Order: sequence, then structure tokens, then C-alpha cells
Amino acid sequence: MFQVQHLTKRYGDLRAVDGISFEVRRGELYGLLGPNGAGKTTTMSMLSGLLSPDEGRILFDGVDLAAKPLEVKARLGVVPQEPALYATLSARENLRFWGGLYGLAGSALDKAVDRVLEETGLAVRAKEPVKNFSGGMKRRLNLGIGLVHRPQAVLMDEPTVGIDVQARLNILQVVRDVAAAGTTVLYTTHYLEEVETLCDRIAIMDHGKILAEGTLDELKRQVGGKDLLTVTGTFDAETARKAGAIDGAQVLTAENGRLLLSVEGGRGAVEALTAILAGKLPAEGITIQPPSLSALFLNLTGRELRD
Amino acid sequence: MRRLLLLVSKDLKRKLRAPVGLAVLLAFPIVFAGMLALVFGSSGDSTPKVRLVVENRDTGFAASALSSAFTSKQMAEHFDVRTVGKGEGAALIEAGEASALLVIPEHLTQDVLDGKPVTLEMVRNPAEGILPEVAEQLARVLTEVLDGGARVLRQPLSDLRPYLGEGSPAPTDSNVIEISLAVKRTIEGAEGLVFPPAITLKGAFEEKKPEKSDENTGSLIFLAVLPGVAVYALFLVADNGMRDVLAEGTLGTMRRQLAGPIGPGTLLLGKGLYAGALALIALAVFSAVAAVFLPRVPSIPGYLLLSLALILAVVGCSALIYGLAGTERKGATFASAIYLVMGFLGGSFVDVTNLPKGMQAIAHWTPFYWATSGYRTLLEKGGGLADVLPAIAVLTVLGATLLLAGSVFLKKGVARGGAA
Repeated sequence: MFQVQHLTKRYGDLRAVDGISFEVRRGELYGLLGPNGAGKTTTMSMLSGLLSPDEGRILFDGVDLAAKPLEVKARLGVVPQEPALYATLSARENLRFWGGLYGLAGSALDKAVDRVLEETGLAVRAKEPVKNFSGGMKRRLNLGIGLVHRPQAVLMDEPTVGIDVQARLNILQVVRDVAAAGTTVLYTTHYLEEVETLCDRIAIMDHGKILAEGTLDELKRQVGGKDLLTVTGTFDAETARKAGAIDGAQVLTAENGRLLLSVEGGRGAVEALTAILAGKLPAEGITIQPPSLSALFLNLTGRELRD
Repeated sequence: MRRLLLLVSKDLKRKLRAPVGLAVLLAFPIVFAGMLALVFGSSGDSTPKVRLVVENRDTGFAASALSSAFTSKQMAEHFDVRTVGKGEGAALIEAGEASALLVIPEHLTQDVLDGKPVTLEMVRNPAEGILPEVAEQLARVLTEVLDGGARVLRQPLSDLRPYLGEGSPAPTDSNVIEISLAVKRTIEGAEGLVFPPAITLKGAFEEKKPEKSDENTGSLIFLAVLPGVAVYALFLVADNGMRDVLAEGTLGTMRRQLAGPIGPGTLLLGKGLYAGALALIALAVFSAVAAVFLPRVPSIPGYLLLSLALILAVVGCSALIYGLAGTERKGATFASAIYLVMGFLGGSFVDVTNLPKGMQAIAHWTPFYWATSGYRTLLEKGGGLADVLPAIAVLTVLGATLLLAGSVFLKKGVARGGAA
């Protein structure tokens, strides 16, 4: 559905998006995972036609977005990171306006608005001005607006940022339902568990580049089935070198009082490490993580993915 | 076209849901003009009369002359005089039924004839402000006149005295002639001193009153003031609409619209139409209010064309300001300053002819001047389409040019906002 080829966007010397390429298949829920500042939102802005790339191109269903922007945009739905709503209008009025903008009218518009109000659980508050809504309700309406015209693909830019657990679960359920109905979804987030539970395929992004891409299992395999061993304490360079010499271990980082190792068979590695450190380390200073996206991200970037 | 209507109706609906700002802008010129009309437009008919009670305790000719001075035809327009018996005046003042009480003492005439000092007593109603003061000042003037007359005519009056008392003999023909000649000679002798009078009150009461017309003064003032302030308010109303382009940038809704099947040009056109629609609503309200006070129906084609040209000018002006400003806050600050200066120069608050020559020359470069003078030509002077054609032409050209330039800058701003 989406073919992104060598996409680049520069702001002065900063390459916010640095020659990325990926493909989103029809009906797929594709996750773009990365920390803040990774380049996810810039990528989404280019995919939604709001920003022109400096290099590369975007094809939607074979149509070049740069050549026929309005044609492509009419088939897309966009859910921005911050709710973009008219506060003095009601939920129904908001939906009617955005639906109308995408060409819906008459009974088709009425039905579409009713459908979205039901899907987002806002039907009972449909006539209320949006300014009276809670943050979670605004997020649901924000999501609903992106879906009212039944787009072929929806671009969702971190739609669950800053809301409580219940509202987040509601939104994730709507996203699942949308994908289950056959709509292609491109979903960005910096929450690991969201992409792990939602997405068919995932791209891990940092510093404007895609570091890894694939299904959850494929990505986990990229870690090589290795555990991630984190040791906190004070280390000298010699200790780090000795730790790296443990059989099957690889030092990812050794700085700021933290030693990060990718190891085969975590427990055995801990014993070997304890021997190297000559019992200087308290037991609670060592954690072992089984193979995961988090471990992969650490493996790829040498740092953790945090909010 | 459907999308444009959708954009405009959405914005109008939003404005309707938060109408306070617009309502204030609509009320401002009406209240402003109305207040000025009330302050400066009261007609003579509505000026209250001084309610004067005269307690005349003397029966002589001097007391009668003084008392009748207040009841003359001229004074009757300003004084409602009631003559009462001894002791009744104070009760009327106490009851608040009089502005002032003038007490003419017993033996006034006799004392005047004897050349003795006489004191008139004036009691003011403390509950009233200006009216008792008016009565007192007038009584003071009349006293001066009476005093002057008594001094000048002392000798002839003294000759008259033996014939004024009860049971006195009637004067003979020769007595009357002698006294008359004495009066004549005295007046002729004093003529060089008192005529022509150095100070006269004539103007105060004998000035010819303006002919009453159908047009109430207050209405005329309202209609004279309204066009200027209404034009000023119209610029603020359009500013309110055009500012929304940048406000939507802050809301994130502009970005969202641009991510849909709509170009920046359509979005801008929608905002321009919205600003124009707000200006049209404002004009309709001002026109409806003005119609109540209009003495005659103005030229409809002239009025409509001038109004359309003005709407183009106000939208163009605000488009350029917000296009150059780039942000909503900067735009609002610039707009307030620019409109205030242009409004002042263009005759929104003071007549352009009252400005210094240099400022009058600058005034012609403001759309405020052309709009205000155009409406005044139609409403006050009863001008027709031909009379306001120059104003229509200037406003149209100016509006179209400003709108074109503003759209170029705004389009860049919208594109930037979409990308931000």
C-alpha cells in the first residue's frame, strides 16, 4: 500500500529522516517504534503530504504522493499526536465537518458519523461541546475523525500519549478493530508493549534511520536468542574487557556505572561475571532480560527506549 | 464550492458558540454613537423649567414689576412661576415642589422710593442642582436692573411719592406733565451712560430659535457618529475572522485540514469568505440600527456597492496584516495599532476637516476615510451612487490589492503551519 523509498528530510545540518525505505502492505498494521526525536513524526508528516521530502519518494497504491497529493490524501486518514478538534463544536458536529471535508454528504455522512460515535464509545456524549470532554474522550474523538470517511489507510502518530490506562486500552481496541476490518494502519509509538501487542510488522527507528524491521518474532531472532545482562556498579576498563571475554558474551555499553552485555545463557554468564568481579557486586545489581524488543533496541542503540 | 461552504459554515457555527467577542464589536459603535447622541443631542423641549415660587409681600409697583418680570412671555419658556401668599413658599420648597423661592419683602416699593437699601430673599431647594442656581442668577440680574433704575430715576420718583399712598390726592395734569418731563430728561441725561448698554442679556433670551424640523438632534448626532465608528468596528470584525487562519494553526486543525483533500488556497479562500461573512453580518446589524434613525432612505445601489467594496477592503487589510505578521499574537498587536491610527486619520472618531492639513492629506490613503466619507455622503447629505463612486472605486482597488498581497504571504504561512 505504502512504498517509501530513500526518504530524507533535513533541517539545516540535522538529518531528521535519513534515507529510510520501507513498505507497508495492504491491510497490515505496521508499527514505527522509536524514542522521541527518532524522526517518526517527520516521517508521518511526509507520508500525510504535509511536508515535502528533500529526497526520496512515497508511493501510495502506486500513485506518487508528490505528483497527486489531493488524490492520495483523500484516501488517507490522519490521526495527529495532539487532538486537533474544534472545542466549541460537539463531537457529532466535529465528525460531520471532517466527514464532509472528505466528500461525505447526506445519509452516508449521517451513517458514518453514527458508526464512529459507536466505535469510539462517544454516542451518549455526541451532542456535548468537545471542551467538556476528558483527555481520553478527546483522544477517542481525535481517532474517530481520522476514520469517519473509511480511509484505505490510516496514519496514527502516537495516539495514546498522555492518557490514562483505561483510555489507552479503549484506543488500542479501536485500532485493532480498524485493522481487523481491513484498513491499513501505520502506527508510531515509543511504547514497546503497544507495538508488541498490536503490530503485524515493526520498524525500529532512531536518529532518522530504520535500524531493524520485521515481525516481532523476526526481530527477536535478530537478538540471536541472547539474554540481556545489565550490571550496575563501578567498573574499570579492565573489568569491561574481561566481561566481554566471557564465552558467548558481547559488551553493548560500559558507561555511567552500567555494564550492558548480550549473553548466551544468562545464568552461566552471571556466574562467570561474579567470578571476574571477585564477589564485589551485590546480587541486586544484576538483571537478566530474556530476548525482547527492548533487548533488541538496547542491542541496536546501546540505550533503553524510554518515555 | 461545497467544501468552501462547509468551511465557512463551520467557522460561523464556531463563532456563534462563542459570540461574546463579536457581540462586543457589534455593540461598540451603536453604544458609542448612542451615548454621544444622548449627551449632545437633547433638544430644548426636554430641558426642565425652573419652578420658581414668588412670595410677594408688597403690593407696590416695584414689587409688581419684579414679579411680572418672571412671568413675561420670554421667561415663561424657562420659568414656571407660581405666586403665593406669605409663608406658603417655604412649605412648597420643603415638599420639593419648587426649585427656588423668591421672597419680595413688605414695603419694597416704599423703600425703593425712599432710597433705602432693600434685600430680596432667595431660598434654594438643596435637592436640585442647576435650576435653583439659574433662578438665583436671574433674580440677581433683575435686582441690579431695579436698583439701577431706582438710582437714576430717584428725583422723578420722589416727586411721584405724594400721589401713591392711600387717600392721597390725584395728581393734576400739570403734575403729570412735570413728572413725565423729569423722567424724560433724566433718561436722556443718562443715555450716554446706559445706551447702548455695555452688557446686554438680549441674546440669552431673544435669540431666534432654530426652526424645528422633523429630524431630532439626537438622531442626527447618532447618524453623524455611527458611520465612522461602524467602519472602525467593521475592520475589527474582519480582523477577528482572518485571525482564525493563524488560530487554527495553533489548534492543529489547519494541519489536519491540509492533510485532507484540501489545498492551502481553498483553506484561505474559506477564511476570507468567513471574514467577509462576519463583516456582512456586522454591516447588516449597523444598517438595521441606522435605518431606525434615518430621515430618508439612502441610495440603495450606492449603499450596497459601497458596503461590498468596504467588505473587500476590510478582508484585504486583515489578510495582509496577518500574512506579514506570521503569528496570531503579533498580528493582533499590529492590527490594533494600525486600525487605531487609520481610524483616527480616516475620520472614524473625529471629522477629518478638524485634523491638521498634513494629516488630512494622509487620511486619503486610508480605507477608513473613503468608507466613512462615503457613508456620510449617503446618509447625511442624501447623496446618490454617483457621489460615492470614487469611494467605491478606491475601496475596491485597495481591497483587491491588499487581498492579493495578503494571500501570497498568508499562503506561505499556512504552508509553514501545515509543515510545523
